[in-house]
Amino acid sequence: MSPSLKQTTEPDKVRLRIYRFDPAIDRAPRYDSYEVPHTPRMRIMDALDYVHETLAVDFGYRWLCGSKKCGTCAVNVNGSPKLACWEEAQPEMTIEPMDNMTVIRDLVTSRDPYEAFLAKLQPLVIRKREYSGFPEPLTEADVASAVHLRDCIQCLACQSVCPVLQQPDSGFAGPALLVALSELSQDPRDEGDRAKMAAKEAQVFKCVSCYECERVCPVEIPIVGEAIEPLKRLAYREKSTPGARRAGAFLDSVKKLGYVNPSEVALKTQGITWNGLRLAFRMALRGKIRLTDALFKRPSPGAETIKTTYDAGESR
Amino acid sequence: MVDVLETDVLVIGGGAAGTNAVLKAADRGAKVTMVVKGLLGKSGCSIFAAFTPYFQKTDEEIRRNRWRFMIRYYNHYLADQEYCARMEDYMCTEFYPDLERLGVYWRRDAEGRLEMVQARTRSLVAHKQGATGPILMDKRRREIFRRGIPVYEECAVTSLLTNGERVVGATVLDYRRGRFFVIHAKNTILATGHSDYLATRATGTREQSADGIAMAVRTGAELANLEIQWWHVSDVLEPKSWMRYHLYPNPLMGTLETSRLYNSQGEMFYEQKTHSPGAAAPYTEQLRRLALEVAAGRARWDGGYHSGYDHIRAETINTYQHQAKVWSKLGLDVGKDRIECGITWHMRHGGLNVNAERMETSLPGLYAAGGVGCHYLGGFGPASFDGKVAGEAAADDALASGRKPFSQEAVAVEEKRVFGFLRAGSDGPRPIQAKLRIRQIMWDLGYVKNERNMQAALAALQAVREETVPRLRLQSTTRNWNTGWMDALDACAMLDACEATVRSGLNRKESRGPFYREDYPYVDNENWMCRNIVKRMNGEWQSRTQPIQAPYLPPEKSREPFFEADY
Ligand SMILES: Cc1cc2nc3c(=O)[nH]c(=O)nc-3n(C[C@H](O)[C@H](O)[C@H](O)COP(=O)(O)OP(=O)(O)OC[C@H]3O[C@@H](n4cnc5c(N)ncnc54)[C@H](O)[C@@H]3O)c2cc1C
Ligand code: SF4
Ligand code: SF4
Ligand code: FES
Repeated sequence: MSPSLKQTTEPDKVRLRIYRFDPAIDRAPRYDSYEVPHTPRMRIMDALDYVHETLAVDFGYRWLCGSKKCGTCAVNVNGSPKLACWEEAQPEMTIEPMDNMTVIRDLVTSRDPYEAFLAKLQPLVIRKREYSGFPEPLTEADVASAVHLRDCIQCLACQSVCPVLQQPDSGFAGPALLVALSELSQDPRDEGDRAKMAAKEAQVFKCVSCYECERVCPVEIPIVGEAIEPLKRLAYREKSTPGARRAGAFLDSVKKLGYVNPSEVALKTQGITWNGLRLAFRMALRGKIRLTDALFKRPSPGAETIKTTYDAGESR
Repeated sequence: MVDVLETDVLVIGGGAAGTNAVLKAADRGAKVTMVVKGLLGKSGCSIFAAFTPYFQKTDEEIRRNRWRFMIRYYNHYLADQEYCARMEDYMCTEFYPDLERLGVYWRRDAEGRLEMVQARTRSLVAHKQGATGPILMDKRRREIFRRGIPVYEECAVTSLLTNGERVVGATVLDYRRGRFFVIHAKNTILATGHSDYLATRATGTREQSADGIAMAVRTGAELANLEIQWWHVSDVLEPKSWMRYHLYPNPLMGTLETSRLYNSQGEMFYEQKTHSPGAAAPYTEQLRRLALEVAAGRARWDGGYHSGYDHIRAETINTYQHQAKVWSKLGLDVGKDRIECGITWHMRHGGLNVNAERMETSLPGLYAAGGVGCHYLGGFGPASFDGKVAGEAAADDALASGRKPFSQEAVAVEEKRVFGFLRAGSDGPRPIQAKLRIRQIMWDLGYVKNERNMQAALAALQAVREETVPRLRLQSTTRNWNTGWMDALDACAMLDACEATVRSGLNRKESRGPFYREDYPYVDNENWMCRNIVKRMNGEWQSRTQPIQAPYLPPEKSREPFFEADY
């Protein structure tokens, strides 16, 4: 176990061509070239900082955290969106603002349309009844299907490459917003009509499953498989009758355990195939409204169990 | 004419403290307006929070350990103990429900029990250790937008306005568009944080130039314990931008082991589990031990030592630690490889002198919450508590009182100052160069202080103030996101804040926690367990001390050698 540092052959210099445009002054964008020394393990942001510190001291670029937490530093590098603080600097880089966005100045783009759309989706857990107090009954398995979605830092890289969003007035929410909506729809506590939102407000069916969004996501969220497809299924199934078997399996699980055991529900609903498990798991999460009704609207054998689980958690 | 917006309560800053202040003030029925220099919930150090402490009153032993941690190891007896008692109540009753109601998922196990860091003090994580801050801030952000509260993002407050007696609002620069305006408020809450980018290596997010401290200095507010400034030891050395990545020395989720520090010979010189078992955040102890290694030539402040988790099962780290990705991104193996580290200027214990009951500063109409205050070193929970107290107090007071006029003349003076920097030319230094110079001065001053090097730092800061700032020139005078223009304003704020910090350090004649003076190498609880206060009135610096009471946990020794103390 040596304190090994990976030996890499790093270039001496980094050449940047940076998009410059000030809508208040310039008629058209131009590209300025800069050459900066390469520093160890250099990120794109380190190169931009060097340009700011020495050559173009007032050029516009945005970053806040420098550590992949705020999601504000994404720019196009050689044609593809990259999180500047996270990705390695390349020897030759053409740096531009991300596509599908309005430029404020140089590399800085407006996030306003994203925020406005997000607000329409009511992006917090919608509760129809009183919150039951901390910690509310939940297990890791109840929320596991959305675990990767929680890593989204809203960098908007995915929005910038989505071909559907390139159509003017597409009305489509775009992948980043679908990630947010999908996380909520998979949250067993949420009682909003997410199916309707997915179909109407977000227009999820406009997604053509091209996987462009997934390709560029810096935190590697399986956007199509874990966010969009479950939403599409949800929006689609909304029209059909809910499965009685599923509801029954839910109640059984709750009575016995005091919480949703998705695998048990899956077993009873589908049998033991792997695909079945995955599918039933998602169905389980979707059946949450009936589940919470059973738990909180009237006293049920499950409620007692829940209380015991809750107490056990408290006294640890 | 400058636009004037009217509000009951103005909240400055969009971290844990500011967001909770806004929500709680709005709950009371006040009209609230928020200004955030970065983006709401994406700026400030709140997004760096790895986990949040779990306060339990039911388990006496854990509670005792928590108190000992809070008072002794985390705050070095500089915390207000009455404040701690109130904050503990809040953490036990409100903090978690408030956030869970919004949909935060605190990690549970397969049986539905909360997963906790199993150390002497307990902590919880929102899904992974390291990912907690962004998740909590995202929920608060969405809630503030949901309520339709006016938020001015990417707008910097540049000065506090007074009517001679009271703070009555602030001037704001929207740097996206270069629009200058006034927010006229009945009460103002400063929540600009305590993790500022004031040294060459620092944790603070990009926009953090200690504006809150600087505005307080300029308005004549009292500031306490600014010199208690933490340096953090186990932060990534390269790449440079990743200096904000901490390799957490704290107790870890899923294992009883903790990360280790190794000197240039590969010898382990620190791990929390062994060296500071009572401390859940052992930063100052790490620092003291690193100082010994540096003195012995086995490490440098900027490298030559490593940290890692290679003695812990990689699977555990991957399951619970968000930052495992640092290794994979660098092509390293978290189960085998160690990462070279350097110290970073981390966060400040001190800030505006505030009372514990209402978070009022020494200036009527001005409240301070979170890191920019001085009760407690910080933490997402404590900062939220401050926000709640300040928000409610400021709202109640505003609803009961009338609006006081502000001075038009002061607005004109400030407008002139702000726009005065918007001048181009190739005949002067660039604003970013002033910032880099100030950061270098504070980095050179570093951790090991004495009368001489602090005086030298003061003189160097003064030179920047007198020789560099008046000659600053930009490349372009655009008002649209002019990075250089912001840099000029930041540099001025940094100068005021750094000067106050060094002066405060000169006044404290002892060593304590992260504050080490070679010329006073002992902890002196008899004379210095106090708020060490400075303020600037009409250009003159004044100082005084204010004793700190220890009703619940007094220190064990009145005086001990700094390197023998364990806190
Ligand atoms: C690296 C790191 C790790 C940490 N880990 C933990 C942890 O694991 N657990 C924990 O509980 N705590 C942790 N903390 C501490 C905790 O994050 C802070 O104490 C707390 O979040 C401070 O919140 P705040 O609201 O006071 O300030 P901040 O979150 O720093 O917010 C400051 C805000 O003020 C704004 N602002 C600044 N200047 C201006 C201006 N001129 N005009 C308008 N707005 C302005 C900024 O843009 C920002 O929005 C950590 C801190 C750091 C630095
Ligand atoms: S998969 Fe769908 S959301 Fe993603 S980029 Fe393609 S069309 Fe857009
Ligand atoms: S899904 Fe990925 S690419 Fe899209 S906003 Fe979130 S983190 Fe960025
Ligand atoms: S700067 Fe925050 S994610 Fe890159």
